[in-house]
Amino acid sequence: MGGLILFIFYGSILFFIVACVLRGIRFASAPLHLHWELYNGSSVYELTDWWTKTENTVGKKLSSMMFDILFLKEFYRRNRRLWYPLYGFHAGLYLLILWHAWLFVSAIITNTETASNLGWVWGTFATGLTFLGGVGILLMRMTDPDLRVYYPPIHYLKWIFILLTLIGGAFAVDIHFHSSMPALLKYVRGQVTFADFEHKLHPALAPALHVLFASVWLIYLPFSHVFQLFFRYYHSMRWDGVPNRRGSEVERRVKELLERPVTWSGPHIPVGRRWKEVASEPHPASGTGMK
Amino acid sequence: MGNKGVRLRDMSKGADEPLLTISAADLMPLPRPLDQLGTRPPIPPLSENQRKSYECALDGVSALTLPRPQNKEEEDKLVKRFLDGLRKLLSQNDNWTFWQPLVQSLGSCVRCQTCNDACPIYVSSGKQEIYRPTFRAEVLRRLINKYIRKRGKILSKLTGDDIELNWPTIARLAELAYRCTLCRRCAQSCPLGSDNGLITREIRKLFSQEMGIAPKELHDTGTVQHLKVGASTGISSQAFENMVEFMEEEIQEKTGKRIKVPVDREGADILLIHNSGEFMSWIENPVAFAIIFEAASLSWTLSSEIYGYEATNYGTWYDDVQFARIALKQIDVAKKLKVKKMVMGECGHAHKGLIVIADRILADDMNFPRESFLPLLAELVCNDRLKLDPGKNDFPVTLHDPCNVVRLMGIVEPQRQILRKISPRFREMEPHGVENYCCGGGSGFAIMSSTNFKDWRENVSSRMKLKQMIDVFQDVMDPSIKKYVCAPCSNCKGAIRDLLNDNGLTEKYGIRYGGLVELVVNAMADIEKPFIEWEG
Repeated sequence: MGGLILFIFYGSILFFIVACVLRGIRFASAPLHLHWELYNGSSVYELTDWWTKTENTVGKKLSSMMFDILFLKEFYRRNRRLWYPLYGFHAGLYLLILWHAWLFVSAIITNTETASNLGWVWGTFATGLTFLGGVGILLMRMTDPDLRVYYPPIHYLKWIFILLTLIGGAFAVDIHFHSSMPALLKYVRGQVTFADFEHKLHPALAPALHVLFASVWLIYLPFSHVFQLFFRYYHSMRWDGVPNRRGSEVERRVKELLERPVTWSGPHIPVGRRWKEVASEPHPASGTGMK
Repeated sequence: MGNKGVRLRDMSKGADEPLLTISAADLMPLPRPLDQLGTRPPIPPLSENQRKSYECALDGVSALTLPRPQNKEEEDKLVKRFLDGLRKLLSQNDNWTFWQPLVQSLGSCVRCQTCNDACPIYVSSGKQEIYRPTFRAEVLRRLINKYIRKRGKILSKLTGDDIELNWPTIARLAELAYRCTLCRRCAQSCPLGSDNGLITREIRKLFSQEMGIAPKELHDTGTVQHLKVGASTGISSQAFENMVEFMEEEIQEKTGKRIKVPVDREGADILLIHNSGEFMSWIENPVAFAIIFEAASLSWTLSSEIYGYEATNYGTWYDDVQFARIALKQIDVAKKLKVKKMVMGECGHAHKGLIVIADRILADDMNFPRESFLPLLAELVCNDRLKLDPGKNDFPVTLHDPCNVVRLMGIVEPQRQILRKISPRFREMEPHGVENYCCGGGSGFAIMSSTNFKDWRENVSSRMKLKQMIDVFQDVMDPSIKKYVCAPCSNCKGAIRDLLNDNGLTEKYGIRYGGLVELVVNAMADIEKPFIEWEG
């Protein structure tokens, strides 16, 4: 059983890394799409001869991304009611992720015997905040007619599982380790440094269960909406009007795409021709209705 | 009566009864003087014959005049074609033009419904379920989950994604793709970046590019006519040249000036390209451009070449292939004329289409410089290249922002700089700029009038704009006070014209509409007669 948990845990870390890389590659290698940008204010098109002027949007984009990810700014602006529990949940989660990172680092570099209980306060606060936010979201999802509509039933299970994971974590820290930071850090040090492999193969139930839950989340994360949020800034659809200038990389990719075949079967589309040919034919076919 | 209890699975119900019939009481109330509810149905039902001939089981309205299949075999064939199209939509190779934002939009929605209140159609309709901006996206998402994904049929049962794909579903979805103006206000408000406007356009595209289903006004008498004759209005080169002569007569009559409008002037700095609807319905708009450009001594020209006198590109709204064909032909004209750049006149979708979207299908010498008339006009007005007397525009003016120019292109300030300079009583509608509301005629609706669609447009998709126009002039409704809605876009003008006329707002309350350049010419100090005609 312990071996299995070990396999699942390290396997899930590997899976997480591979899935993230694959998703990133899939996203980065997607064909360039037509320019379908949205603008939240003035753009380069407000200038005459705009193609001769440069506009650096990287700083603007990075700052909107940071505000969005750290503070869920768009939710705050557009859906304040939902933002309260949502932000509680996410802020708690960010603190919890940082707390785990701190646990791993300080277990290795500090003297675990003399660790103060500040770490416990941090972890407990983060867990509590995440839990309260999660409960708030779940309740709103169950009671608000707009939030219920089209929400897939399986997602309710997801929220319940999140709450169980948090409870499992609190149980491990407060019951198994008796809220003792030295005991917790000593355990983590053993895990991180592989000091006690026998212990790894026969872990105690509470930490084992928590590790199992965490593994499930590692497998799920690459497919979660958090990742979608990250990707949205890199597909030239929001706040990123990069124009196609002569001789640019964009133009090079456009040329490649125009060599692709048009595969649609509408009555106005000829069979077996490339985009370049179809778009520039002098007298295109016409009419509605199927071929 | 409205029906807010419609469920996604109802899309596949037998096609005898519509999912929704809107009554006057369902609609969002309007402010005074239009606050009295009529008793007549806002959208007249289709005739018995029309109901027998066309699919109308969504909401009793027919935008597509989609014929009913004759038998089961035909239905099955249509379902198969739809599935083929759906697979292509999700394939990087088949749908490179929009694959990435489509997949992103389908995958990122968390069903927070934040976009709902941003949608003027959903709100104006009294929040009818089928017009919820997430409704059609969710139908598509569930069809994909069930019929395209591996083991989808089993998983859809487990996850509650179950929706049946049959002909009624497809027919309703085709109509539903034309109950959204693609204003993308919902996309702007989505915290996760999901674009329901894009999903709607992709559904339209599937129907057009795979099944040959599109509104006749957009395809047959739209892009097809455009490619055949040279303009979606059907204007030929010869007819265009006659219109230019008429423009010159108009200029002389209105200003006393004799101007030779430059046509096909090789090597000019600017090729000005108008929506050809301006020549048919609002000749004063190209006339005003000519007066301004001549007064500023610009090097410019119009083109009488086929495709050179038409800025529209209806493919923007429903079909990538037709879009690419038209855009390339327009660019080719400018290239042959050896002008330095193309400048779009007052047409919103031509701005977005040719300047922004076409950006990713142009390379080498076809990657031709293109820009909006707005920055150029702002330079002329703000740098005193024209002699202006703002006192001549001493009446309340408001600005309608075309979605394609503001939210979809980021041109927000130049038009305001101009209005602040020439109209002392300029006032903003709320909201405005990138948060504006669509005129209701976007994505082709302004020119679609088959069966009862125009009634639907005026009562539902244009209702928010109607409310905004009344609200902004609420303190000056006295008909003796002239009021001007400045709408620098042909399609928006068409929708606003119908709203003002059909609600008696011009006749009873003195609200008139027009473009931006007309206001500029009206303020020109050396023109004695008012350029804007308030009567007629």
